[in-house]
Amino acid sequence: MAITEKRSAARAPGRPRPRPKGRPGGARRRMLPWAMIAPAAAALILIQGYPLARLLVLSTQNFGPRSLFTGQADFVGADNFTALFGDPDFRAVLLRTLVFTVVCVALLMVLGFLLSHLLTGVSPWARVVTTVSLVLVWAMPMVAATLVWQWMYQPQYGVANWLLTKLRVFGDLTAYDWFSHPDQALGLVILLTVWKGLPFVALTLFAARGQIPEPLYEAARLDGAGTLQTFRHITVPILRPVLGILTLLEVIWSVNSFTPIWVLTQGGPDGRTTTLGVYAYVTAFSRNDYGSGASVAVVTVLILAVLSIAYVRRLADQGDEQGGPA
Amino acid sequence: MSAHPTPARRRRAVNNTIAVAVSAVMLFPVYWMVATAFKPSGKILSAVPQFFPWPISLGNFQRALAKPHFWVFVRNSLTVTLSSVALSLVIALFAAIAIARFRFAGRKVLLAILVLVQMIPAAAMVIPVYLMLRSIGALDFVPGLILTYMTFVLPFTIWTLRGFVDGVPVELEEAALVDGCGRFQMYVRVLLPLLMPGIVATSIFAFVNAWDDYLFAYVIMKSQNNYTLPVWLVSFRTAESVDYGAMIAASTIFSLPVLVFFLLVQRRLVGGMTNGAVKG
Repeated sequence: MAITEKRSAARAPGRPRPRPKGRPGGARRRMLPWAMIAPAAAALILIQGYPLARLLVLSTQNFGPRSLFTGQADFVGADNFTALFGDPDFRAVLLRTLVFTVVCVALLMVLGFLLSHLLTGVSPWARVVTTVSLVLVWAMPMVAATLVWQWMYQPQYGVANWLLTKLRVFGDLTAYDWFSHPDQALGLVILLTVWKGLPFVALTLFAARGQIPEPLYEAARLDGAGTLQTFRHITVPILRPVLGILTLLEVIWSVNSFTPIWVLTQGGPDGRTTTLGVYAYVTAFSRNDYGSGASVAVVTVLILAVLSIAYVRRLADQGDEQGGPA
Repeated sequence: MSAHPTPARRRRAVNNTIAVAVSAVMLFPVYWMVATAFKPSGKILSAVPQFFPWPISLGNFQRALAKPHFWVFVRNSLTVTLSSVALSLVIALFAAIAIARFRFAGRKVLLAILVLVQMIPAAAMVIPVYLMLRSIGALDFVPGLILTYMTFVLPFTIWTLRGFVDGVPVELEEAALVDGCGRFQMYVRVLLPLLMPGIVATSIFAFVNAWDDYLFAYVIMKSQNNYTLPVWLVSFRTAESVDYGAMIAASTIFSLPVLVFFLLVQRRLVGGMTNGAVKG
């Protein structure tokens, strides 16, 4: 410690160090930021850029099991895409993904908003209890959560059928097999997705809500505004950026959902719980049709890209204005 | 407490009750996992579910741990996860400092790319990544999986850390430089400690991402010796008769580190995730 200090002190007077920002220095100084970025850039180009380009190329190729070994694949232009959109299976998958995403995101956002509102109106001890419960659910690994779901909804011995039968609302569900009915199976996947995703939405909204100055609400209350009016005129407008980002993230995650669907239902029964993420996987790896699988992925990326453009532009602008108001 | 509670107080009591009910419903699957894991094996497959595991039994854990290769899967998961976290942190730190502290040509493009890349779903990339690793013979090869995880968390990690570096006043660094601190030394002694919350938040993100990934490990790791815990856990299901007790006990072991992790840092987590991503 002492030695370093002495040595640095001896070196300091003669050479004023350049400021870290702004003023141009020597060639070595100009290279420094590039050298610091190089490893990240290399990794991104190699393992994101190249595969992305490969994905695009692949979607225009007839890449079957033979291509795996020869490495050769024929260029087929837009054939994969034409075939895809002519396929009633794929259209059903698109529609199902839309329904799945809309239901999941709507439930997540509405329930998350209500839960974050609830958190602002409870005693501190209840807030701790709820937050800890939410954090635990958030922390549950998806694979473990999915297996627990499978166990809870097991036909003969699962706790869900027993409870639901006891409740007497849905009739006798003893030995009811959720996974052999497509709509019910998809319902279970939605339930799992919403349960697992709710903590992130609720806690993020709660944290963002904490930034809204309380006097705003007090003033509104004095003016006679009810809960719904404060929602409409204070909470929602101020939280709009956060709500927008959360909605977009949840849309992306729902559209690409793979693990919960694959592990719970494998896309079945009869392919009727298959959404885009699973469909791309099945087409490529089960049917060994990598070209068509890639075209499914490309369609997915394009759909999400259209939705994301506005958001990306805003974030990049934000990142550029350095040290702006936090 | 007065006999006639005020409306505000009554509303709070109602809210508290709802909050406790919501917590109970949310927590039930987690509870059910732990409760099932500790049940004696005879009580698992019973027509009337047993809500409290009594007598507490470790039989399920013993059976899970005795499964062939269990410790191999644990080692694989730990190797893959810890290496990808460490690698992504080091690489991202350098990039984040460069982006936050230097002005250079292409900086804005780089920022846009970082956000853009986060929008590319990993599920779409699994096909080309598989073919790429296959063509260079890195399929079923642990470092291939490490590099994949590392790269997929990189954009988020750089983006978030950049936000944290921005939050550290440049004057602090300048003061250290004027005092004769070397640049590297300055980063280690001044910047690094101030970035700890960001480092914790991004490490957890990277940890969970690798620890919990099923898709890539499932596609890339073909031989059983290279399975990670999630792939092994899911393979329980395909067994002739599912041993639910052992499966749930193994899931509990698998979840435990993440549950503990999140509980320890929950305060930082809620702020950390949004600070970097939302406020920029």
